[in-house]
Amino acid sequence: MIAIRDLVKHYGRFAAVDGISLEVHPGEIHGFLGPNGAGKTTTLRMIAGLAKPTAGTIVVNGHDLAADPDAAKMSLGYIPDRPFIYEKLTAGEFLAFHGALYGLEAGPLEARIADMLALFELARWKDELVESFSHGMKQRLVMCAAFLHRPRALVVDEPMVGLDPRGARLVKGVFRAMSARGVAMLMSTHTLEVAQEMCDRISIIQKGRIIASGTVDEIRAMGGGGDDRLTAVFLRLTGGGALQEIDEAL
Amino acid sequence: MTVRPFPHLLLPDLLGARNRARRGERGDLRRALLFGGIGLTVGLALYEGSYWVTGHLLDYAELGDYLLRLGLSWLFLTFLSFLAFSGIVTALSTFFLADDLRLLMAAPIAARRLFHARFARTLLQASWMVVIFLAPVLAGIGRARCAPAAFYGAALLTIVPFSMIPVAAGTAATLLLVNTCPARRARDILVLMGLLFAASLVILLRMIRPEQLLRVESLPDLTSFFASLQSPITPLLPSFWAGETLFAALAGRPDWVHAAALWSTALAAIVVLSAASARWHFAGYSRSQDAPRARFTRLAAVAPLARLLPIAPVRRQLLIKDLKIFLRDVSQWSQLLLLLALVLLYLYNFSVLDLQRIPYMSGFLKNLYALVNLGLAGLVMATLCVRFVFPAVSAEGAAFWIIRTSPIGLGDFLWSKFWTGFAPVFALTEALTLAANRFLGVDPVLEAATSLAVALLSVALVGLATGMGARYPRFGGDPGQVAGSYGGVAFMIQAVLLVIVMMALTGWPASVYLLRQIRRAAAPPPVWPLAALCAAAAIALSLWVWLASMRSGVRALERLAD
Repeated sequence: MIAIRDLVKHYGRFAAVDGISLEVHPGEIHGFLGPNGAGKTTTLRMIAGLAKPTAGTIVVNGHDLAADPDAAKMSLGYIPDRPFIYEKLTAGEFLAFHGALYGLEAGPLEARIADMLALFELARWKDELVESFSHGMKQRLVMCAAFLHRPRALVVDEPMVGLDPRGARLVKGVFRAMSARGVAMLMSTHTLEVAQEMCDRISIIQKGRIIASGTVDEIRAMGGGGDDRLTAVFLRLTGGGALQEIDEAL
Repeated sequence: MTVRPFPHLLLPDLLGARNRARRGERGDLRRALLFGGIGLTVGLALYEGSYWVTGHLLDYAELGDYLLRLGLSWLFLTFLSFLAFSGIVTALSTFFLADDLRLLMAAPIAARRLFHARFARTLLQASWMVVIFLAPVLAGIGRARCAPAAFYGAALLTIVPFSMIPVAAGTAATLLLVNTCPARRARDILVLMGLLFAASLVILLRMIRPEQLLRVESLPDLTSFFASLQSPITPLLPSFWAGETLFAALAGRPDWVHAAALWSTALAAIVVLSAASARWHFAGYSRSQDAPRARFTRLAAVAPLARLLPIAPVRRQLLIKDLKIFLRDVSQWSQLLLLLALVLLYLYNFSVLDLQRIPYMSGFLKNLYALVNLGLAGLVMATLCVRFVFPAVSAEGAAFWIIRTSPIGLGDFLWSKFWTGFAPVFALTEALTLAANRFLGVDPVLEAATSLAVALLSVALVGLATGMGARYPRFGGDPGQVAGSYGGVAFMIQAVLLVIVMMALTGWPASVYLLRQIRRAAAPPPVWPLAALCAAAAIALSLWVWLASMRSGVRALERLAD
């Protein structure tokens, strides 16, 4: 479970995140939507322990991230938007290194690595250097690493970027399976179809504040217009009038 | 449609530099003062040095002229090889690997315009250091010889074509190489070749044995010594033309023949290279985009060997990861070749020291050299630390999120970096010191004292480098560039100060001990209490530098989340 309360992040005078609260329950896939620069990635980075909140609390599976960061991180998986990994390690070496960081024993770790590489269709690349991987393959390798230690909560930033349709379907399937096993997932995405298809609940963030939260149907109802597609609702809630201007400019 | 001339393509670099200069950041003034101060000091030293040498050569009339001419030719010959190599490496980046090429190659830019813009960038990047070095040297020579104002104009008009020729040759070599093997592989080959070249150059210069000039009995050999100096200077090389042009300009005579040779060769090189680039650049660029399966060494022995070490599993994995990444990156480990050459020279120099020439002083001198050896070992250690230990945190690069999101403390991470750096630095410098002391036949007490001092220095300098590397990380930078950053220079200054203090703390009791040995009588102050006091001070200082640096490094890493 992921619970954040009154989370604030200031960069100088600029409030990137301005007092947001949300909960992601076990087995729930929670979509985190918002326009560019709304504060999605900053929030996810704070939950992952990459950025320190200016105020507020983050609790991961009962562990306060500020008070007990190691325990909180031990039960959390993180998939960043850009898959930067050690280019001079092979996929197998990278996963072995990553697993050891989470205290996995060598024997079971080997088996788990084989399982994960097979699951994400990277088994035949196990002994190849990461530097020869495509963006999509690196993204899948990062996902292997995130699931390696069987986290009970997962923070995912733009999971579908760079994935081909087959890879995207694979990832959706894995996420659904993990959700069925009780993993709490907070996922930011710009692909509203993905959010509509996969998420149990959705929060929309704009200018650092959550402006709407609920199930997909509840969000549709909040849009208030006749068009019930999530894209139309999202644009109405976040100021999509600009689209008309684009049309005129073109 | 208006086609803008090629300098338009340099605008992003110029605007980027202007914006960086405009955007004030904390510590900018400190950095400017530090680097400006160092640059100014080096520039002044070069100016004064060349002025002093040229002034003294004036006393030797024709021989002085000959030596100055020889010196100018050697100076330009050295820069010629440096510029050619620098041109190869820079061209690889500017013509084939730079990120902005994706934008430029997709834009409707004529091949020649792109070539001219890229060559101008290559020329500036490859030659700025040479120009900065040459300017004070030539100014010093000009002042000593009371050269007319035309000399300085001639210097400018000589340096420009002189730089263009080797950089064009280097670019041509890169064009050829990239068209025969993939650019990323070519980079590894070039780096390796360059370092082997540098290592052999260092050894070659040592083999000329300049110390023979100091021996009276070797005077008849002076002519053969100068002949060996003269041999690489050929009238067919641009370095000779540059030297001759400037030597003539010193006397106020224009040397049109050599100046014309320089300019015509430079312009011809650009015309030919431009045509070659129009023909082969795109093919090479296209090859450089191929991503074949990377070839690499498996390094299967690393993990089993690491398992023998009595360390925690997480630290062991960090060690294995660091070692594999280091050993698979040619640009990293190949620098060890140069280091190996320097170490061999270091030991060779001690083995050929002829202390018996001053029999009554040889006992004292060899022990004095033990202290010099300590200082040199300290400097070797500082160099090793700034190049390999200081960039250790930065080397995590964009993948540092993996460590920061994992359940290991940043303290554990930094301490792992410390131990990974400490073991090889300590082993190498301690072995160097012991071997050099054995060559000298140093007093056993002094040998033990310098060994202890090296051990303490290793702890302190590796700790200082690790801690400062965490305080001034550059996650996007090349490790070589990280070493030359503000933090790297600040580390070197502190490291040199620490080495001097440690030399003083070892040298003071050692000199008292040695004087007593020579006089064979007790001399105030008493040796052993003084030695104990100095040893305690050295231990306390080393431990303080070590632990305080590591603590501040861990705190700095924790602050990254802010």
